[in-house]
Amino acid sequence: MEEKVLEILEEYCEEALAYTGENMMEEGVIDSFTVINIVSELEDIFDIEIDAKYVVAENFRNKEAIIELVRRLTKEA
Amino acid sequence: MKTDFNRVVVIGYGKATGGILKYTADRQADYGYQLEFIEHEIHALSVTRQICEERGVPFSSLPDKKELGAYLAGIQEKTLIVSASNNYLFPASLVGRENITIINFHNALLPDYPGRNAPSWVIYRGEAQTGITWHYVTAGVDEGNIIIQKTCEIGPDTKAYELAEKLMDLACEGYFACFDSVLEEGVEAKAQELLPGRKLYRSTQMPGDGFLDLGEEPEKIYRLLRSVDYGKTGVFPLLQSEVEGKRAEILRYRKILPKKRKEEADMLYLPLADGNLLKIKYRVL
Repeated sequence: MEEKVLEILEEYCEEALAYTGENMMEEGVIDSFTVINIVSELEDIFDIEIDAKYVVAENFRNKEAIIELVRRLTKEA
Repeated sequence: MKTDFNRVVVIGYGKATGGILKYTADRQADYGYQLEFIEHEIHALSVTRQICEERGVPFSSLPDKKELGAYLAGIQEKTLIVSASNNYLFPASLVGRENITIINFHNALLPDYPGRNAPSWVIYRGEAQTGITWHYVTAGVDEGNIIIQKTCEIGPDTKAYELAEKLMDLACEGYFACFDSVLEEGVEAKAQELLPGRKLYRSTQMPGDGFLDLGEEPEKIYRLLRSVDYGKTGVFPLLQSEVEGKRAEILRYRKILPKKRKEEADMLYLPLADGNLLKIKYRVL
């Protein structure tokens, strides 16, 4: 699962792979439009629904947070 | 560089607003105006507060319309209000004041597609081209004289959020190009040719009236899906449909190669004219 998430990030936002901080959005690594693309891809690849309540900066603060979000949602699905 | 404007107020949200805010802050030293930012619509992924903190720009959050109206009505000095991706309608009493000039970014080529969600409507109607307009604000919605316009193409797979992003980039380009002439009040603005019965798109209107008819041509279905696709931002509710006699809502879609087809529950595949398949995931209600 983790590998697939990283592949998606590589496709839409390669800088996110090297980012080691705590807020990719505030630091301009990722923007809201890239988040839309990533969410769409995650939903399709993992066949999950990512509700709007999860699409917040906290869940996209770094690659680990995104992986954790997917892990949680795939468990719930 | 000289301007009679003592104060510049930027109001809006999103990517275009961020770019415009940064630029207006960076040009402050050239003209000496006071700059402030007002957030009226609050978005989960907004970074305008951070931009203000970095550049020392006063930031106010005024989500209440009345509160915002009262705040703007209290402005006494000569002020330029920059409305960038902003859905607040400025009252006629403010627009008509001598000391206030308001410019607005509209995400279509006015006089076409005035009102809300223009990127959706141009995709839905199959337009090949659209663009942005910066115009002066008058009492009528999106009716003011045009300051600058910029155009772009709409691709065959363009989704609403992708087009919205492209238009925001164009809005920044247009703003940077006209900024000095607006501040120096040297714009040769062009009046809009407003036809009688001009249609204003409302926020409550949705392409296809929000219903996906599976009996339509797949290309039309694809246009409808792309036209309402703003990711999870909640611009529109999910499209409704009817699948094998049951009410359903459309969760997501994707154009895929035929070899990628996999039989899955609650999934439809429609053949597109270019040889690809339109994959649609739905949920029966």
